[in-house]
Amino acid sequence: MPLALSDTLRGIVGAPHVLTGVGCSPYLVEGRAPEAVIFPGTKEEVAAALVAAGEAGVPVTPWGGGTKMAIGSPPNRVGLVLGLRRLNRILEHEPGDLTVTVEAGLPLDTLQTELGKRGQWLSLDPATAGGATVGGVLATNASGPRRHLYGTARDLVIGLTVIAADGSVVRGGGKVVKNVAGYDLPKLYIGSFGTLGIMVEATFKLRPRPDVDRLVVTRFDRLKDAGAAARDVLASDVIPSALELADGEALRHLGQGGGAGLLLGLDGIAEQVDWEVAELGRRLGPLGLGETTVLDGGARDEAWRALARLGRPGHDQVAAVMKWAVRPTQVAELMETGSTVALRNGLTAALTAHAGMGIVTAVLTGGADVNAAVATLTEWRALAHQAGGQAMVEWAPLAIKERVAVWDSAGPTLRLMKGIKERLDPRGILNPGRFVGAI
Amino acid sequence: METLLGPGSVLSDPEELLVYESDGLTLFRALADFVVFPRSAEQVAALVQLANREGIPFVARGAGTGLSGGCLPSQGGLVISLMRMNRVLEVDYENQIAVVEPGLVNLHLSWAVGPQGFYYAPDPSSQQACTIGGNIANNSGGPHTLKYGVTTNHVLGLQVVLPDGELLWLGGKTRDPQGYDLVGLFVGSEGTFGIATKIVVRILRKPQAVKTVLGVFDRVDQASEAVSAIIARGLVPAAMEMIDQLTIEAVEDAFGCGYPRDAAAALLIELDGLQAGMEAQAERVIAACRDCGAREVRAARDEAERQLLWKGRKSAFGAYGRVSPAYMVMDGVIPRTKLPYVLGRVNEIVAAHGLRVGNVFHAGDGNLHPNILYDPRKPGEEARVVAAGAEILKVCAEVGGSISGEHGIGLEKADYMPFIFSEADLVCMHRVKEAFNPIGLCNPGKIFPSNKACVEVGPAYRPHPIEEKGLAQRF
Repeated sequence: MPLALSDTLRGIVGAPHVLTGVGCSPYLVEGRAPEAVIFPGTKEEVAAALVAAGEAGVPVTPWGGGTKMAIGSPPNRVGLVLGLRRLNRILEHEPGDLTVTVEAGLPLDTLQTELGKRGQWLSLDPATAGGATVGGVLATNASGPRRHLYGTARDLVIGLTVIAADGSVVRGGGKVVKNVAGYDLPKLYIGSFGTLGIMVEATFKLRPRPDVDRLVVTRFDRLKDAGAAARDVLASDVIPSALELADGEALRHLGQGGGAGLLLGLDGIAEQVDWEVAELGRRLGPLGLGETTVLDGGARDEAWRALARLGRPGHDQVAAVMKWAVRPTQVAELMETGSTVALRNGLTAALTAHAGMGIVTAVLTGGADVNAAVATLTEWRALAHQAGGQAMVEWAPLAIKERVAVWDSAGPTLRLMKGIKERLDPRGILNPGRFVGAI
Repeated sequence: METLLGPGSVLSDPEELLVYESDGLTLFRALADFVVFPRSAEQVAALVQLANREGIPFVARGAGTGLSGGCLPSQGGLVISLMRMNRVLEVDYENQIAVVEPGLVNLHLSWAVGPQGFYYAPDPSSQQACTIGGNIANNSGGPHTLKYGVTTNHVLGLQVVLPDGELLWLGGKTRDPQGYDLVGLFVGSEGTFGIATKIVVRILRKPQAVKTVLGVFDRVDQASEAVSAIIARGLVPAAMEMIDQLTIEAVEDAFGCGYPRDAAAALLIELDGLQAGMEAQAERVIAACRDCGAREVRAARDEAERQLLWKGRKSAFGAYGRVSPAYMVMDGVIPRTKLPYVLGRVNEIVAAHGLRVGNVFHAGDGNLHPNILYDPRKPGEEARVVAAGAEILKVCAEVGGSISGEHGIGLEKADYMPFIFSEADLVCMHRVKEAFNPIGLCNPGKIFPSNKACVEVGPAYRPHPIEEKGLAQRF
């Protein structure tokens, strides 16, 4: 990094908030240390830093809690890491409006705790480690089991403030729950992995906390039956907030033995949830329902957390994690086939799915054989394509990423995406090379 | 164009074009050079390619029920009507999606999937006429969006003709497509990013039970407080709609729906979901209304009474015809806690302009619809309506709200965009527009503050040529 830029950055954010040299080592991007790390204290400082980096032609990688930094193609150059941890305030929470405005560096857990004190929550439960920030969750479009009923970030964000590549402060959406004025810019920035601008503030719509929130774990001998049960629930009057399918290997990781499981989140008022639990018993009995466990309180939270940990690198010798997007009716069969493919390659796969959404998380474990992992991931992607869906590598070591494309093809739409990128970041300094189509 | 589309698919007679000179907002009018009726995506693409070759502006049009002038050919050229592309192409009940053409009437989709126990959730008040394609352009809402979200929350994929004539898919039948959320960007882009030719939407299972409660209040602020009180009790009703006194009287004159004429405000609250617990939830709603001073609260006893209560709400706009020859509907959004203050300001502003206003709106999500009543035949009255409307939207902006909740910016509010967006915001939006629509032939003159050179603004009434010929009579 040019010395002049380091000096400029120190002038902008203050010397204590600039790291260089060995101080950068906790902020590796694909195993490479950045040239400097800065922690701006205001959105104006973020803007000034972006302008300075742009003038020097140094690429900038935004960093929230660092929990999802392994997603993406390896970049050509790791320049400046811009950490948002000092932008961590709740700016405005009006319970009567069911809205909240926060800074991007606020940890999601902290936000949920604060909202909980007022009987509300942000209905987003991504499988992230503690420390994940609101900005990081939005930039990666992370979501969890409750997207089944409550949607993803695109359904919950009502306003976003972003620092554009040229340092201008751009606001899209607003602070009201319904708004069609102008283009829906928040949609564009959610899931854009820092390639179009740096999010500094977000406004969400909230939900009241339900009276009752339970996790019903239903067990089946075969995945096929659990899959049929999931389809039956979708065609029933039961309104689960989460509908998660887990194969035998996934259940073993959860300490639950083999077979297959269907995990349902049921929330609302007590009478509703009681009726739903009973209805599940009535409907799923004839479909091969085995043991049923209804969890509440701490046991419920721990079970959801364990499910979230499953796909996290560093856990149980994970070799790679892939996400498939297919149609809900295809999920169970693809999971079975995917599991067989892994075994044939001498590996083991633990598969879970947001069954009603058609999103499968396939965790590959059981060895450091790169060739076997590459072969499995390649076959998995072909399976997803045959089903008319897509597959992306959520996590893999560099040696695998060099041989298996992280992102799936964006097809003819890539031209539009590149057009947007070129117009919003003409110098190509925002997290370049990490996103779909080498954006 | 006739070669491309076949006979009977191109209008160019000025008298026929007149039918397409405005949308539901008759304040703005612009004549097309041609109105064309393609029957397939390929025909739309061919028309757009032709328009590009000839340098002619073009704009898509559905049923023309829009309320911001968004589908007007503001610089002439082609109006591409999608009304002949009105099929339900595919319904996959197990995966809960449907693939439809853009000219399909919103309600017809719910009719098509209804026998299997499904429906399409976004329900604009114009749903008996408006099309799904128009809903895509405007990201349309409706009463039940409080719980179920607006159009964008229900769209998975779009086949579109881009402004340069390329036909491609954004998203599809599966979730989380790779790359930027182009579907999310396209929905609500008011026809400036291209023309949707096939649409993949979610269909939902009909709820097991529905319960509708009417709260009657002597003061508007009591009704506003009840909205917040219901939410504070942990409930998310499917809909919460408010109707003010002027509107109640109009509705009662027209339809006799059972609203008390002397009430200051009526609040219509609908709960849906499981049968179990429905009574308990209704009790919470009723208690919240009573605590806020409701003089009467009652739940609809049967489906007929429920339909009657909703008829009053959904037909309110038509009922204004009983009390005024014309009205202009505004579409501001405010944080719902600001309802009493803003409603007071709305009444003051309209009165200061010597006009009357009726309010019927989505109270649950703070989406106001002040309807300013006026007589277009009185000189100067229309100008006062426009001035009052702008002041109302300024108040919405001042309290942290928006200038449109569901009707779009179109031509009407393009000059008001700076009320809520900075220069940098608008520059960013314009850059995104250029990525889709670099030459600007696709629906020019909309959303961004600009001149309205070719658009006629003024009294809506003028005799139609068939009136002049004595073939039709207005009464």
